[in-house]
Amino acid sequence: MPVSLNYIVKRLFWSILVLVGVIIFSYLVIILSPGDPAVKWAGNPRGVNATFAIEAARRELGLDKPLYMQVFDFVAKVLTGDLGISIAYKQPVFTILYSNLAATLELLLCSYIIVLPIGIVLGVYSALHRDELIDDVLQSFGTIMANTPAFWLAAIVFLLLVSAGSPVYGRIDTRLALETGFQSITGFYLLDSILQGNIVIFIDVLVKLIPPALIIGVYPLGLSIRLSRTLMAESLTEDFVRAAVAWGVKRGRIIWKYAFRASIPPLVQVFGLAFAYSLIDAMVVEYAVFGREGLGRLLVDALNYSDFKLAIGLLIVVTAFYLVINTVADVIQALIDPRVRL
Amino acid sequence: MANIRNNKPSISGAVKNVQKAFQTKTGFVAITVRAWKRSSRFKIGFVISSLIIMVGVLAPLLAPYPRDGLGYVPEDALQKIRLSPSRDHIFGTDTRGRDIFSRVVFGVRSALIQIFLVVSSSLLIGLFMGVIAAYYKGFIETLINYLIELFMSIPAIVIALALRLILGSGLLTVVLALIITWWSWYGRVTYIYSRSIVEMDYVLLAKLSGVSGLKIIYRHVIRNASPPVLVQAVTDLGSVLLEASAINFLGLGLPPDSPEWGVIMQEGIQYLSISPWISVFPGIFILVTALGFSLIGDSLREEVDPKLRRRWRLWF
Repeated sequence: MPVSLNYIVKRLFWSILVLVGVIIFSYLVIILSPGDPAVKWAGNPRGVNATFAIEAARRELGLDKPLYMQVFDFVAKVLTGDLGISIAYKQPVFTILYSNLAATLELLLCSYIIVLPIGIVLGVYSALHRDELIDDVLQSFGTIMANTPAFWLAAIVFLLLVSAGSPVYGRIDTRLALETGFQSITGFYLLDSILQGNIVIFIDVLVKLIPPALIIGVYPLGLSIRLSRTLMAESLTEDFVRAAVAWGVKRGRIIWKYAFRASIPPLVQVFGLAFAYSLIDAMVVEYAVFGREGLGRLLVDALNYSDFKLAIGLLIVVTAFYLVINTVADVIQALIDPRVRL
Repeated sequence: MANIRNNKPSISGAVKNVQKAFQTKTGFVAITVRAWKRSSRFKIGFVISSLIIMVGVLAPLLAPYPRDGLGYVPEDALQKIRLSPSRDHIFGTDTRGRDIFSRVVFGVRSALIQIFLVVSSSLLIGLFMGVIAAYYKGFIETLINYLIELFMSIPAIVIALALRLILGSGLLTVVLALIITWWSWYGRVTYIYSRSIVEMDYVLLAKLSGVSGLKIIYRHVIRNASPPVLVQAVTDLGSVLLEASAINFLGLGLPPDSPEWGVIMQEGIQYLSISPWISVFPGIFILVTALGFSLIGDSLREEVDPKLRRRWRLWF
């Protein structure tokens, strides 16, 4: 495919530059905010070992060097994946972050795989039935969905499920996992259980995964219902659709092969943004309501233990995630829409 | 006879049409007025938002227990812990015996304050940065675009976490975290609109006649670029509320006992199965408020972007 490599390289370079900027920004947050940076970095230690911990943090941050050297060292450290030992977990920060990222990612991917096709089909249906009651109903539904606070909905759904006796708390039934000898390899439990042929665990994980996945999917559902209608409204009036009608192309083919195809590039871009935004929803919902492990738990623990390293690690990883998703979305868009390649 | 003459294409008619097209005002107020006339969704959104704002203003009068609303624990708290909704307490009481309805009503105020602070500050910063980038091209343009991209990619919630560890809890933490990320969106929108305006002939003419840069920026660029940005801001009012309440819900923003919807929900979440009303009612208010603003924003956007308004028919 004749995609200009130039564009992709440029896009990648720009994203890496932004990531470095974010790392520098997080370092400036540590250094320039009120209070002793070393004390913050050590997590406000108290007791006998306090002075020792603060000294260690001071050395770790290299506070005796000139500022540009500190920044350079910090960026180099983060890019090589070394952010010190987390106070809350007593493990390297990036190790904890990666092991928890998989849990959140599994939830997020599952949510989008379920919700997006539904939302797009509903949106296209709505566009085809414009000015009918069903169109208004679907669009109002979409608006309400896009404005629902996920954590509120999560609380209600959780309440209903628990009172119905459904085991939705947590990510996996630990006792069941022990009994069946389930082991996590990739961190994606659904994948792991399939690989190990462990049906019992697969069902257990799926049952616990679906409710939060659907709740996180509420925002993209509303968005896709509204967006795909707008985009279809635009492409259905284009001349190529009219030409296709004149040629006698079948209705379904016109809709999906011609009209919908034209609206894929903007959809990809918006869903790239929405996917990154949903990560936040996932972090809010997964631990605070459903008690699942994942980045949300790290967020709460970083707060409870005033673990500044973990907080900065989260900032960098979540931002990197956002950048990766958006870069991928942009590259995909360039692959399918020749107008973007500049 | 008159009919026939009117149907004839005449030069004066064409001139009138052109004049009419130019008279279609594109200012923010004009857009709002047109949206009011054209869209029932705008009216619904307007009614909802005005009601919410009125509740916020009249909170001390509406709340049956104003002191509870402000977060004070009543003296007879022990008898009133987690009462279910009744005539005395329409929304029930919370874990410390406070009337939920009063707290929720006072919560309107904190919601509006957060929204207003975040949107207005981000709007100012974003407008400024976007216009500067578009007008003074070159290195400044690249730098500002880089900053916009940078702050766009950091989610507010993780900044809120870092700020919470530095500054402690409070209004400043939420608002600052949201502003740090939010201005970049307005910066981007302003930049995109201003860049096309800067290329216009009248800007060139103004430059040639020696009008100073700041004056051109104020008179020509900002005035023409601001309506779409303002519309974007109105559309965002609801999302700011959603994100702010999520931050507060996680305990990253306002301190416990504050009359804020996210905070109230957080306090109720541990008792969800015993007394669900604590968490459920504030959420309804968040939803309704966000919905009201978003209805207004959507119909305003239709006015700015006529493509969204176009009626069409299928060819099959």
